[in-house]
Amino acid sequence: MLAISIEALVKIALLMGGLMTGAAYFVLLERWIAAWVQDRKGPNRVGIPLTKIKLFGLGQPLADGLKFIFKEEATPGHVDKILFTLAPISILSAALAIFAVIPFGSVLPASFSEMIPGLDHQVELLVAPGIDIGMIYIFALSSIAVYGVILGGWASNNKYSLLGGLRSSAQLIAYELPMGLAIVGVVLTAGSLRLEDVIGLQASTGTWNAFAQPIGFLVFVVAAFAEAARLPFDLPEAEQELIGGYHTEYAGMRLIVYLIAEFLHMITASFLIVILFLGGWHFWGITGSENANITWFEAIARIVVLNIKIFGVIVFFMMIRWSWPRVRFDQLMSLAWKVMLPLGIVNLVAVATIVEYQKSLEGKLGGPWGVTAAMWGVSLLAWIAAGVLAPLHSDNSAQKDSFVLSAEARNRGVRPGVTTSI
Amino acid sequence: MQLLQALRVLGIEPLTALACVCFALGLWLLLPSTTARGKAFGLIFTTISLGLFATNLHLLSDWVSDAVFYVMASVTLVSAVGAVTMRSPVYCAIWFALTLLGTAGLFFFQGAQFLGVATVVVYAGAILVTMLFVLMLCNPEGHSLYDRVSWEAGISAGTGALLVFLLTWTTATTVFVDNTAFTDKTPAKDSKEPAPIVLTATAEQQNKNILAPRHVEKLGGELFSKYLIGVETAGTLLLVALVGAVAIIAHGKHAEAQAAAVRTSDGMTSGLNEEGRRNA
Amino acid sequence: MQATDPNVKWIEEPKLGLAGKMYIPAVIGGLATTTKHLFSKKMTVSFPEERPEIGNPLIYRGVHRLNKDDQGRVKCVACFLCATACPAHCIDIIAAPSPWPDRDKYCESFAIDELRCIFCGMCEEACPVDAIELTSLFDLTGRSREEMIFDKEKLLSVYDMTKDAEPMKSKSLGGAP
Repeated sequence: MLAISIEALVKIALLMGGLMTGAAYFVLLERWIAAWVQDRKGPNRVGIPLTKIKLFGLGQPLADGLKFIFKEEATPGHVDKILFTLAPISILSAALAIFAVIPFGSVLPASFSEMIPGLDHQVELLVAPGIDIGMIYIFALSSIAVYGVILGGWASNNKYSLLGGLRSSAQLIAYELPMGLAIVGVVLTAGSLRLEDVIGLQASTGTWNAFAQPIGFLVFVVAAFAEAARLPFDLPEAEQELIGGYHTEYAGMRLIVYLIAEFLHMITASFLIVILFLGGWHFWGITGSENANITWFEAIARIVVLNIKIFGVIVFFMMIRWSWPRVRFDQLMSLAWKVMLPLGIVNLVAVATIVEYQKSLEGKLGGPWGVTAAMWGVSLLAWIAAGVLAPLHSDNSAQKDSFVLSAEARNRGVRPGVTTSI
Repeated sequence: MQLLQALRVLGIEPLTALACVCFALGLWLLLPSTTARGKAFGLIFTTISLGLFATNLHLLSDWVSDAVFYVMASVTLVSAVGAVTMRSPVYCAIWFALTLLGTAGLFFFQGAQFLGVATVVVYAGAILVTMLFVLMLCNPEGHSLYDRVSWEAGISAGTGALLVFLLTWTTATTVFVDNTAFTDKTPAKDSKEPAPIVLTATAEQQNKNILAPRHVEKLGGELFSKYLIGVETAGTLLLVALVGAVAIIAHGKHAEAQAAAVRTSDGMTSGLNEEGRRNA
Repeated sequence: MQATDPNVKWIEEPKLGLAGKMYIPAVIGGLATTTKHLFSKKMTVSFPEERPEIGNPLIYRGVHRLNKDDQGRVKCVACFLCATACPAHCIDIIAAPSPWPDRDKYCESFAIDELRCIFCGMCEEACPVDAIELTSLFDLTGRSREEMIFDKEKLLSVYDMTKDAEPMKSKSLGGAP
């Protein structure tokens, strides 16, 4: 019992340390990439304090953190003080608690458990290995994270913050649906809600879900960008229009708590993309696929592969930020409801059909490759259909009509939208 | 004395009855009203009643379980009282969210992982967020007293307390059966005698319940075999609601279009309207 | 302005082609551009270690200097044209009778408040004897306001410092055209 408690505590400490350091250094990476994309050099000065050693600016996160700690914790007079303080706490705790069910490696070899007295099982690199409902748990906590944004926006008692909070809640509710549909596709093939099982299946078949369910992968990536509120979907913050959105009024430690939570959301999204669709720790020929007699080399290779993949996805997140402009809010909404939701349903139906009629389909289409080819065909068709049939976001004729109609109605003394009869 | 005896006959602990009375009184004092009814007394009465309820409860198998259960239960109850007595609707919603989290924790504690998380996803994640979305549009410093007081404080406090009383009474007089539905152990079928009265699972069983490896699978199996009709009925109900919502929206759009048509063909001859019609 | 006003121009955006509607080619195009820039040469100059290259020092407007003639005397004749032309009123000249026969006056003291100066170059334009010129030194710093008021000696020393790199601009004195 004691050994198990210590095991859990060590894992939590490792994860928290890794995540917090990771978040700090991803801020540095984000600034570097922002600079490099704009042909600048980025932060490269802060190294070891009191010396002239610069270390490419690797001391920058420390300096940033110190700066935030020593800043004044300003609370404006017009805010709702309790909720104003509660909001960042809730968002950070929810963002951290998600990692209880996210594996950060695979398992350690049995020889490790033999070395430590009291451990009678293989150590799984996952804080809460017993939970059978991992994905719903992630959903639950990401919906709790919405509270931080909504409450922060409302408690700030400021129009920009309120708009940020409103946008955020609408956006997160809207994109949870396509995200859920994409996840259900993965759950159907894996037959389990555990993330370890999803990786295990991809490792044993050697086919990553991104290849098996291309449309689900696309829907999930788009929804993950929206859930993490990253560009091109960063409307809740939108520095240029909302001056930071829901955290306009925050300063000092409360602000840094928000910023860390945001980065954690991005890291969570990268973990999920990698685990659900890009094979998790699996890589052909290096990592092996079974847990029981895993070697030390394989165990370490799995951790390294997983982290490299996550790093790659995060770099992708940051590159997309500088490649694409922010969408308008109505475009965001119509993308969720009119494009992503139908695509998600198409994916779900296709995957369900394949899972249910696997044997007969493989017989008819010439083996598993035929089934995959059919899936790709369906995905391509659905994507083209969505692209062609989706409402033109760049067209402003609808707004023009409503403008003209309401102007006319005003001229006649009728309020727009009110039904009148002859 | 006679009253006490009558209560005993009915199977009611006198302390429970007292707790319910205290609860009603405290709730009545706490509910927002036009006059200052003494919130401090309300708090005292509510605390006393919670303490009295607690005296009636049985201890669980070990102190860790006890601590977890009592912390969860008190979080749930206190935040539930907060949810009904707060004046600001946003605070009500936050307290209610805390209630839901406490409830989810209790579900988790009993090994009902799916139920616990589903409570959070559905209620806290979807319904309450939608409510907050609407609440955010209202002014945080509204002055209309009309919306901010509880108009039937006495009736609601009494009804609430009565409900609590009935629930406590029922649980106190019901025979509990060992909850082994989700464990691997199957109850012995051949024995004729009734199942043993077990108030709660032992710590070992509880661990097994919580860490049941194929929890969701079993739940799904139960839902789609034993409770199929219920699931289908609920699904149909939701479908009907969805179709209704779509119908309302479609009807509204139709009416608007008709109104627009009426507006444009309405014999207005000003230049502006000419322009407008052409653009439309 | 009303929406129906004839002055309001409603612009239809160009229609997207099939590739544009498929989103993915556009995303890849954007990513290709950013990736190209990710590895391209950086424009940043790491200032204290690297000095920025100044295109033409002769037209750069940095710190002032007071030129000397071939006998090493200050060229200024204390005509006050620069002080009059200065829009920021940062030039302070005290004139005195000249000890030399070729001019009537010379500047006994000549001070420029570099914190007030807006580096517009009007003094340089106004000077009839090419005595005051702007150099290409841009990183002037000081620890106090007083230190930033450059007096005659300091301005002459700036000349000594920069005369080799930046010859005087006047054509008659062999400067660049």
